[in-house]
Amino acid sequence: MSELRSRPRLRDGALNLADWLAEPQPATAGALNVFAGTVRNTHEGHAVGSMTYHAHRALAEARLREIEAAAEARFGVSALVAHAVGKLEIGEISVIVVIRGGHRAEGFEACRWTIDAIKSAVPIWKEEHYLDGEARFLEGVPIQPVESL
Amino acid sequence: MRITVECYGASARWCGSDAITLDLATGATGNDALDALADRFPDFAARRSNVAIASGDAIASPTAPLADGDVIALIPPVSAG
Repeated sequence: MSELRSRPRLRDGALNLADWLAEPQPATAGALNVFAGTVRNTHEGHAVGSMTYHAHRALAEARLREIEAAAEARFGVSALVAHAVGKLEIGEISVIVVIRGGHRAEGFEACRWTIDAIKSAVPIWKEEHYLDGEARFLEGVPIQPVESL
Repeated sequence: MRITVECYGASARWCGSDAITLDLATGATGNDALDALADRFPDFAARRSNVAIASGDAIASPTAPLADGDVIALIPPVSAG
């Protein structure tokens, strides 16, 4: 296992994209697909100043690794994911998906499936902090088992 | 028996605390714990049907019996990403 693979996938503070791209591209791969989610300054008409990500750490860590394994089995790719916990500022990276595969078609598909799986199967909650001083948790979706996705 | 319920995400707001102690009858299940919370906290009762229970690093069945000293977690609808 590489040093990168041994790291927790749940990280305190904003993510650094370069940190999660450090693995060498497999010789058999012809595609590298990357998705990074960032904190946006507006949501449903509210001006957002920052975002706090809360997590059930043990379950979130297990689910992120389960999603990686599921993506690899389903699409025949290499998958690596990470998610931030704590308070992030506008523009900072909260989630990263790195897919390395043979061709772009399965790379794009795996990348899309993986970020969608993270959004519905990982116990993490966004708390938005608005510029008017208010804060609220986003509504979210009932948590799903990875095998159902 | 006595159990501890950890409240994650918005469930801490609904229940007014990050953690709640419940005294339940022997043999009580996760559903019984949720019933007890719904009786005490109207904001939780209104959202109970969308809340899962976790134990350790896994989702737990709400019909499984609890034991004295157990710690369970409320998992309200998630919003990762």
